[in-house]
Amino acid sequence: MRIRVAAVGDVHLGEDLRGRYRRRLDGIEERADVLLIAGDLTRHGTPEEGRVVADEFRDLPIPVVTVLGNHDYQSDAEDEIVALLRDAGIRVLQDDSTVIQCGDLRLGVVGGKGFGGGFAGKCASEFGEPQMKAFVRHTREISELWHKALKGLNTEHRVVLSHYSPVKDTLAGEPLEIYPFLGSYLLAEAVDAEGADLFIHGHAHSGVEKGLTPGGVRVRNVALPVLRRAYAVYSLSGEETES
Amino acid sequence: MSHEAPHHVAPGHDAPHYLAARVQRALAEDERTYELGIRVDIRGDQLFLRGQVECDERRRLVAAVAEDTAPGLRVHNEVTVVEVREPGEEEAL
Ligand SMILES: [Fe+2]
Ligand SMILES: [Fe+2]
Repeated sequence: MRIRVAAVGDVHLGEDLRGRYRRRLDGIEERADVLLIAGDLTRHGTPEEGRVVADEFRDLPIPVVTVLGNHDYQSDAEDEIVALLRDAGIRVLQDDSTVIQCGDLRLGVVGGKGFGGGFAGKCASEFGEPQMKAFVRHTREISELWHKALKGLNTEHRVVLSHYSPVKDTLAGEPLEIYPFLGSYLLAEAVDAEGADLFIHGHAHSGVEKGLTPGGVRVRNVALPVLRRAYAVYSLSGEETES
Repeated sequence: MSHEAPHHVAPGHDAPHYLAARVQRALAEDERTYELGIRVDIRGDQLFLRGQVECDERRRLVAAVAEDTAPGLRVHNEVTVVEVREPGEEEAL
């Protein structure tokens, strides 16, 4: 038995791309059991673009789970976008989890957009000005919620879905100077504490697909410009994850 | 503007370094583009744009915003449109 996870991020849809991505999803049910979308669904984060996203991913023959990305917050309409997606039957994770039944197995998906801050030894900390503290606190609170959500899952398989990266590995190709805006090690720490089969993220358009957390969880950057294919498919099998 | 204010000469203000930064910021913040991953390099009066966007129209708009932000420079639009292939092989983890 195995679970096949299709994943893509950073589709950045808008009216100008309406209908184009949908065509690429034909036959996805033959390749995968679930589709995970790693945020940056839109470019401007407007409700109009949210509607394009909802139409593009609605009524697929397999469950669709998504998180938002930073672009989806640009117009302060993130709540409306979430509502549009949910109306279209798409599950939206906001630092919580969902369980998908795949045959005899259950797949738990935990996640949210995540946030930045940088990587161990070269990162921001909750010190100094309130703006700086708020920046780092945001990531810390997210990672605490993910830790809790993972703890609460007793499914055979667990995948984490994020927009921001948990590791530097998948950022190779991005300028070093912007790493703190691309992810945070706190996201990896939360996941390593509880274990997972896979960590999916996007956001780093110039990065690479494959990486690994310090605890050995496989990381995949599925940003569309990185994949250069409609979606990636990862098949989870073998031993059950520890829980 | 106050005429009593001393006139500060700011010879470095239009240095290519700052102009490139301004173009990059415009690409990120102008609602026509909102593109965060475009590289901007200026050499003399030539401006080079590199990166990837989702379609031809967005590629055209990137150049338009760069031209508006740095008038007088010759814009070389080396931005490419992301080519999306079929899903391909699955990876067993
Ligand atoms: Fe993106
Ligand atoms: Fe992003």
